[in-house]
Amino acid sequence: MNPSAETTSCAEIAPLLVFYVCDELTEQERAQVEKHLAVCDECRAQLSEERELHGALSDQASAGDLLDPSGLLLSQCRSELAERLDDLARPPVKERVVGFSWMRRWMVLHPAWSAATLVLLGLAAGVQSTQWLSASSDIATIEPVNVRPSPRFTEDQLSKMEVAGINFAPAGGSGSQNVRVQMSAEQPVELSGSLDDNDVRSVLTYVVKNGERFDSGVRLDCLDALKARAADLQVRAAFLAAARKDQNPAVRLKALEALRDSTSDHDVRETLLDALKHDSNPGVRVEAVNLLVRSLDNQSVEIFTVSEPAPPMVQVGHLPPAGQIPADESLRNVIRTLEDLQGSDPSRYVRLRSAAALREINARNEQ
Amino acid sequence: MPLPRCALALANETGHASNPGSALATVISLANFDDSALVREAQAGNRAAFEELVHRYDRDVLRLALNLMKRTEDARDVYQEAFLKVYRNLHRFRFECSFYTWLYRIVTNVCLDHLRRRQARPEDQAPELHATQQEEAGTDFFERQREQRPTLDPERHLLGQEIKRRLASALERLSPRERIVFEMKHYQGLKLRAIGDALGTSEETVKNSLFRATRKLRNELGELR
Repeated sequence: MNPSAETTSCAEIAPLLVFYVCDELTEQERAQVEKHLAVCDECRAQLSEERELHGALSDQASAGDLLDPSGLLLSQCRSELAERLDDLARPPVKERVVGFSWMRRWMVLHPAWSAATLVLLGLAAGVQSTQWLSASSDIATIEPVNVRPSPRFTEDQLSKMEVAGINFAPAGGSGSQNVRVQMSAEQPVELSGSLDDNDVRSVLTYVVKNGERFDSGVRLDCLDALKARAADLQVRAAFLAAARKDQNPAVRLKALEALRDSTSDHDVRETLLDALKHDSNPGVRVEAVNLLVRSLDNQSVEIFTVSEPAPPMVQVGHLPPAGQIPADESLRNVIRTLEDLQGSDPSRYVRLRSAAALREINARNEQ
Repeated sequence: MPLPRCALALANETGHASNPGSALATVISLANFDDSALVREAQAGNRAAFEELVHRYDRDVLRLALNLMKRTEDARDVYQEAFLKVYRNLHRFRFECSFYTWLYRIVTNVCLDHLRRRQARPEDQAPELHATQQEEAGTDFFERQREQRPTLDPERHLLGQEIKRRLASALERLSPRERIVFEMKHYQGLKLRAIGDALGTSEETVKNSLFRATRKLRNELGELR
């Protein structure tokens, strides 16, 4: 280092020379370098080398200039890019079949021959298709697969939906009802269709099953709409849930009524017994009694058949003797519960109805 | 500067104006607006605005690609890939930096990918430029020096050729990042800060890359000086 360069050393200045040449130093750094260069021969020599390199690089034509001196490549690139952008912007188009253009041309030139050919082709196709249909009639023996469209509403959407109202309208011709549901599931929706529609059915079922979230009027309407579909397992499960848990006795009552034709089902009978023992509303309990008696109609016949030659005798207020007790445990439960009710139910009408039911059962058994 | 709808409406849909008069109006209108306004229009689906943006910068992009890739086919691929990426991702541009910086970030990333792929396949190295192409350029420093002199200097001419050959060879041996920094500085004339923005790194890092690249080139030329 030159002894007269007092403030900065060559080691500090040397790395800055590259950037000094290409004008990338701050004002302060530049001043520092220039001050040092004024007194340091070595660094001036190094700067000269840097400038030589920089000059050589600057004067050397870049590959960009050499490879595309006329700008032709740039034009090609632009054109290619425009084509690619057109492709991206264009909606996908199905390829058209253009292989029959010669036939169209021939048909235009020979209308009479064309008509005759088409008639012959039609006849041949008709004859062949009847043979094919008869040959493939065994297809009908294959068990059909029930294919359902995927539901429009997810479980999550159903859990957030609100139902404003339900209207019924007779569907043209078929006799079934059309249901129109005004609801909002993330956004307002009006759902319309018969009960064959999966979406309609799933919405109504959800309302019945999760009654606490919906207005009781809406729940009753849904029950009304669905009662014709009590055979559907999901619908029946919703009815059972409503009969057990719904806060509104009118809804519970309607749910029991809707189960009228399913009383032979074990779960339904358990629900009826449960209502008989625990429901707070006497009207619901009476309906449960009625349905239970109804449920025994078919069963008593079965019991008598099983217990022949001595048919079981059911006496009012007493269990039948051990040998005459029906084989069905649930029937015994019904009788036992009715006996309890006729003696202890707080509602006089329920007590009377229970006694009448027991008499009815007894009379049937005596026949 | 906000872009008037009436001007842009002329070039909507496919970007092609319906008649020569409106095409001229479109060209004049679009060329006068700044990048941000064009980007907003392009984001709204105006193809003409996007093409104006492309034409504003694609010359520099292609030049950078040619300088780095040294082969027209590769440079062409880089051009297409980079601008298609810009087109597909334009809706993500949030104006947090200039469009120019964002574009260069995409371009340099595409170039880096290509260079790295090429480095991984030594048999796929770019050929040196043909001698005739170099002669055609006619901008050689030493050539000009010679012309200024009354007598020819064959020794100096040969030396110039050798320097060029060694520089090209040394540039090939730089790392992809050093190479990009060096090219962007010397052939694109960008400031180090802009290069740092484009590469998504600090100015200090770019400075280090440039310093290393320059030192390697100087070492390569050392004995010739």
